[in-house]
Amino acid sequence: MASSRRGGRARITISLLLLSAVLLLTLDGRGSGPIQSVRSAVLTVLSPLGGAASSVASPFRNAWNSAFEQGDLKKENDALREENDRLKGDITANSIAKEQLQQLLQLVGIPFVGDTPVVHTRVVSGAVGNFGDRLELDKGSSSGIERNMPVVTGEGLIGKVVEVSENRSIVSLLSSGTFKVGFSVVGTAAIGIAQGTGGDASLRGSNIDSRQAVSVGAIAATSGLAGSPFPPNLPIGTITAVRTNEAALESTVDIKMFANLNDLVYADVVLWKPAS
Amino acid sequence: MDHPAVRYVLIIGTAAFLQFTLITQFRIAGVSADLLLVVAIAAGLVAGAERGAVVGFVCGLCLDLMVVTPFGLGAISGLVAGVVAGSLEGATVHSAKWLTASIAFISSGAAVLAFSVSGALLGRPDMLSFHVLTVVAVVGLSSALFVFPIIRVARWADPEDALLRTAVR
Repeated sequence: MASSRRGGRARITISLLLLSAVLLLTLDGRGSGPIQSVRSAVLTVLSPLGGAASSVASPFRNAWNSAFEQGDLKKENDALREENDRLKGDITANSIAKEQLQQLLQLVGIPFVGDTPVVHTRVVSGAVGNFGDRLELDKGSSSGIERNMPVVTGEGLIGKVVEVSENRSIVSLLSSGTFKVGFSVVGTAAIGIAQGTGGDASLRGSNIDSRQAVSVGAIAATSGLAGSPFPPNLPIGTITAVRTNEAALESTVDIKMFANLNDLVYADVVLWKPAS
Repeated sequence: MDHPAVRYVLIIGTAAFLQFTLITQFRIAGVSADLLLVVAIAAGLVAGAERGAVVGFVCGLCLDLMVVTPFGLGAISGLVAGVVAGSLEGATVHSAKWLTASIAFISSGAAVLAFSVSGALLGRPDMLSFHVLTVVAVVGLSSALFVFPIIRVARWADPEDALLRTAVR
């Protein structure tokens, strides 16, 4: 009897908790202000600790990575990596437009963002969860960073800012699939929408008019169409596969991101907002 | 300080801190252990499904504050972990280390699947990719490993329930 009563109470408790979780999901889905505020507050408090822990744990982390990910040995120091990224960015931008290249060579910093100002940041910690990849940057609203601003490395677009506190920003990676980006295929009139597939640096592009000739090896860059949250011509990646559905007059593509998302050290936030 | 709720708050706070600062630094195939999930499982094992559900829910909320996935997914995941661990433990007639490790693995797997399926239902189909299998494997194995020390901590938090369940068994 007592066991039955206890079981009944347990079921009620579990049901109430489940309903509470669904309620929270609904509030978050509607963009509830208090939830965002609490997340920002937690970020403000925990970020310095996370940064310090990341520095302290760095030698151990490198040893761990060496043991479990032999192909990802850290052979370059930070300065060389940043320089390397920048050079790769130059090469990528070269494919976007010859005229633009002349401008790119004159610019300092990440070239393909044109004259849009950027904030140079350092990645202080990586993802906490195992889904919805994110990065934490060492600068925030005090440097002019706002939510939804694009984040790039010298190689290309990596994500967008989703949380900001005074001195920290959280970036949701493009590969995570938490948001979509409009893209165009360089050298063609093809446009589509790309989204991460989760887990690695590959994207799936869809909604491409099948009458447009899209080939493997072509470069995908942000389209920057009206209403897009990203400026045009930010390199995204290389098309690695094309599938055409003749009946639906639609093509889908696989895109391999240019940016190496493993062991990111630096990232730049583009201080760009879509025209209202 | 003697009340289980206060002790669990201390444990969950410490686990959240360790998860944020330390555990996520060490990854296998891009996946890290989930200490908060282990706390939920340990609470379920020590004090039953109801306590596991409550502790798991709070643990999940803590995780939700630190990630960018929809707020509430972690709470569902933690809830499932605590309930599954508590229910499986209640259904077993004897105690063995391999059994505890197996329950931890199964509970973690159920929690990860609940997280990814809920995410997919909320418009994140990418959360049901093959990556989920890697997450289930790594989180499950790490939970099976970490559950033993965390059970000791849960027994400290919940001494009465722990003694009662041992006596009943």
